[in-house]
Amino acid sequence: MDLLEGLRIALGSLIANPLRSFLTLLGVIIGVAAIISVVAVINGLNLYVQEKIIFLGPGTFEVSRFGIITNHKQFLEAIRRNRDLRLADAEAIRERSPLAEKVAVKVYGMGDVRYRGQSVRSTTLKGITHEILQIEQYELDSGRVIVEDDCDRAAAVAFLGADIAEELFGSIDPVGKEIKIQGRSFEVVGVGARRGSVFGQSRDNYVLLPISTYQKIYGSRATISIVVRVADPRDLEVAMDEARAVLRARHHRRYDEPDDFGFVSAEALNNLWKDMSRMIFQVALFVVGISLVVGGIVIMNIMLVSVIERTREIGLRKATGARHRDIRRQFLLESVVLAASGGLIGVAIAYLLTLAIRAFSPLPAAFPWWAPALALAISSAVGIFFGLYPAAKAARLNPIEALRSEA
Amino acid sequence: MNAGAFESPGPSGPLIRIEDLWKTYEMGAEKIHALRGVHLTIDTNEYVAIMGPSGSGKSTLMNLIGCLDTPSRGDYYLRGFKVSDLGDDELARIRNREIGFVFQSFHLLARASALKNVELPLIYSGLPAAARREQALQALRETDLEDRASHRPNELSGGQRQRVAIARALVTRPSLLLADEPTGNLDSATSSEIMDLFDRLHAEGKAVVVVTHEREIALRARRIVTIHDGRVSADLPAARATELLGAAT
Ligand SMILES: Nc1ncnc2c1ncn2[C@@H]1O[C@H](COP(=O)(O)OP(=O)(O)O)[C@@H](O)[C@H]1O
Ligand SMILES: [Mg+2]
Repeated sequence: MDLLEGLRIALGSLIANPLRSFLTLLGVIIGVAAIISVVAVINGLNLYVQEKIIFLGPGTFEVSRFGIITNHKQFLEAIRRNRDLRLADAEAIRERSPLAEKVAVKVYGMGDVRYRGQSVRSTTLKGITHEILQIEQYELDSGRVIVEDDCDRAAAVAFLGADIAEELFGSIDPVGKEIKIQGRSFEVVGVGARRGSVFGQSRDNYVLLPISTYQKIYGSRATISIVVRVADPRDLEVAMDEARAVLRARHHRRYDEPDDFGFVSAEALNNLWKDMSRMIFQVALFVVGISLVVGGIVIMNIMLVSVIERTREIGLRKATGARHRDIRRQFLLESVVLAASGGLIGVAIAYLLTLAIRAFSPLPAAFPWWAPALALAISSAVGIFFGLYPAAKAARLNPIEALRSEA
Repeated sequence: MNAGAFESPGPSGPLIRIEDLWKTYEMGAEKIHALRGVHLTIDTNEYVAIMGPSGSGKSTLMNLIGCLDTPSRGDYYLRGFKVSDLGDDELARIRNREIGFVFQSFHLLARASALKNVELPLIYSGLPAAARREQALQALRETDLEDRASHRPNELSGGQRQRVAIARALVTRPSLLLADEPTGNLDSATSSEIMDLFDRLHAEGKAVVVVTHEREIALRARRIVTIHDGRVSADLPAARATELLGAAT
């Protein structure tokens, strides 16, 4: 019996019971659609994270009180152990780490900003040294950025994010205007170019002040973040070690004590993201595995029903010359065609889901070509595996008993 | 398994040789002896009718001759080959090429056209689609059904259905045709047409074995074998049998 004829028989019997076939396939459809969608989402998240979240360049790292905290226990330990970082810590790194090409400082706070009648409540205030603007991405829209001189003088100047500028000034050019922050007067010297949003959070919702000015308002008790850039990204590790040595010495850490500060680097963020996405993927794989096994069992069940329903047909085929293996092949093929069409429907659904995600979220979701190929291969394998028993059962039937069966 | 063995010019002799064949069905604790030691020899191009009361074991014997079932005891030689020594592949091959079986209840695939039904054995002969179609059409022509090729069984009369089944039985050109009460579900006019077809196939050189209840049908054969209670009770040329049957009724 040739393959084509076998396929014809298989498709024929699937189409003869379309609703039953569909219901049978639900498990495989859901499994395949889920796994491909998860791959597509993770892929999209990867791009998104690379582009938007990992704001640090490859030659940059950040030192802060907490660094990267991934669980509550770490957080509790860090809170107990880690000390606030001070401007003097940054100074020390600047002086004693030869690889640190630029050392910048930032500190975050919240505050209300007003311009005449308009006001924006609890917006992000960032006290920065001017180098921050050379390390992080702040494109200029109008005016100028905050410069070294502003920091030296603790000048009452502010640099606004696009959202704040728009809310306070509408279509008026804010540059040169005077705004009030926490009741004090500041001159707007520049406006940043729009940076868009990440996960629905605007990134244009900030006011930059010289750190010296910031500390005049809020005091210098809040912990700072130190951003360090090295000339050559390959020196990053060594530069981090230099900074670590400097800070440990300043904080009098004994050699057997852990750091009382943390690092953030593009690599660490990347690793963190990889861990997270691997975990998401593993959970998804587990769920998908279960739905495929359940789907496979349902397929086996329906194939057994089909063998019983078609006992006479099997008997007739045997009586007219079908061998064991012809019958086995026919039912295996049928089971594979069944499962693979489930896979195909699953791929189609995943494709639509992916399109929907792209249309309705900022995620550039997409699955690689191998995802549907793998899904089809796996669903076919499910078909073979769970078709083996029914097919063997069909093949073993005695021709005359099968022919005489009442079904 | 030795797929080629049956075709090789090995043992020969009569087409069918049956020695002390038993078939016992076990129904729970009860044993039903459907055949109790049948002896029978049939040659190529014989025309044999098998008669006997209902339940005497005729169908059981036919199924064994047709290699559709296996005996409980005894030997069956087909062209000198001991059937119990053959593997599944060879048995399938015999059912496919050597024997055409016609059933009382036709056994057609309901969802397939007459043509597809007749093509069925050819699928397992490994013929390509075009050749299958050609040979199936030829078989339908021989049973006078060419114009019904695309009809499904439920669009055909009983006689036409049985002719489709006969076309299917002869499409692989077997040398032995077995028919178990082929006219049992047909009226007498249609029965007569069907039997004309068997007469012709016999004339063309096939061995034909027909199980029947009806005298007129049995009388078309050259030899009548009567079975009682799982044993051959009479085996006579049709002419002699006529006298006996005549005397009995
Ligand atoms: N599959 C079976 N299981 C049990 N008993 C059977 C089976 N097939 C046939 N028999 C019994 O064997 C005997 C012979 O049956 P069968 O060969 O069909 O007779 P016939 O065709 O002459 O009417 C009967 O008693 C019948 O009930
Ligand atoms: Mg019978």
